[in-house]
Amino acid sequence: MTIKLIGFPYSGPTMRVIITLRELGLPYEFETPANFEVLKTEDFLANKNPFGKIPVLFDGDFRIIESRSICRYLASKYQGKNNNTILIPNDVHKAGLVDQFVSFEIFYYDPPAFKFVSQEVFAEKFWNKNPDPEIIKQGREELIKVLDIYEKLLEGKEYLNGEFSLADIYHSPYTHYVYGVAKHSELWDSRPNVKNWWNRLRNREAVKKTLEEIP
Amino acid sequence: MTVKLIGFEVSPGVLSVMMTLHELGVPYQIENPASWQALKDEDYITNKHPFGKVPVLCDGDYKITETRAICRYLVSKYQGKNNKTILIPNDVHKAGLVDQYISYECSYYTPPVAKLVVEEVFHKTSNPELVETSQKEIDKVLDVYEKLLNGKEYLNGEFSLADLLHIPFTHFIFSATKHADWWNKKPNVKQWWDRISNRDCWKKCVEKIKF
Repeated sequence: MTIKLIGFPYSGPTMRVIITLRELGLPYEFETPANFEVLKTEDFLANKNPFGKIPVLFDGDFRIIESRSICRYLASKYQGKNNNTILIPNDVHKAGLVDQFVSFEIFYYDPPAFKFVSQEVFAEKFWNKNPDPEIIKQGREELIKVLDIYEKLLEGKEYLNGEFSLADIYHSPYTHYVYGVAKHSELWDSRPNVKNWWNRLRNREAVKKTLEEIP
Repeated sequence: MTVKLIGFEVSPGVLSVMMTLHELGVPYQIENPASWQALKDEDYITNKHPFGKVPVLCDGDYKITETRAICRYLVSKYQGKNNKTILIPNDVHKAGLVDQYISYECSYYTPPVAKLVVEEVFHKTSNPELVETSQKEIDKVLDVYEKLLNGKEYLNGEFSLADLLHIPFTHFIFSATKHADWWNKKPNVKQWWDRISNRDCWKKCVEKIKF
């Protein structure tokens, strides 16, 4: 029974799922929609994603959407089956803290990072718009505050919760876009703990391969 | 060792955790910080929440923050221990779909609803432009919910953490704004809201709301 992932290789949420599939050693088929318009068709809305978004994952007949839900499902079902990689700890207290760091990513890290990504990576390329300097400025101010907090959180730790987990995976795509593509590496590199964390993360086989495949 | 919940009984995040504790039959104490401003103090940031937010939960020596993470932790630890209420199914596929609906709440439902509630209910300001854009956005989301609730009592068939997380912000829409009709004009959504807002555990939480 095959796993089928529908998405775009440059989409942050899609990349979260690809990294997770690779970390778990799971084979999968990857299907890329012809263009963005496909996502708004009746068929896509009815049979793939009612919000007209990607990624979408099929595991046999089972369909699931929303990148972090997909990743959690994959970890719950397949963790430990193909290799020893643990993405959600079995201990309920450790798992709780991984969830906490996932929530930090959603509410505090992602929004300012996405301000850079939307303006400096996507605006011209996909939306035919000029980058908005005001949004970039806001993004920078917010992200600096967040990275200062992450610097403390990562003290004495290799990954957010000590050991590698889903929480670290989720941070990868937009960090890469801001660090490597929009070239604001100094935001991470000027903070030793954050610098080491990102270096460690982007050099993981699964992460590296996925980032290299961005067209 | 009693569970200690730190926060204010008006914060929707805190109310979600309270509801979860009630549903699971877990006793708790609530501790109110000195004020909203106190959340930005050095001490609070260092010892409670690095981003200066509520809720925070202490379970013995264990501390966890962030509403949905706290609720999930409570379910993992206590579900089935004090009563038979299931908030996250044991089956991996059903649990996956509950997670999916939690993500709907987080990504699509709560952002526009919260924006409106914060403006009209917490800040008590009137903003007709915001009402107009909110209505469009919320209407689109509720259209999706109307379809997905067809033939179902709850988002994933049975009551789950996903339904629970929608309750607090929606409660403020119904109790303190004039926009309940945006929900009530969609029959499946209306029935779903009536059903989840009439749960005993939610009624207990409503009694504790302190503005």
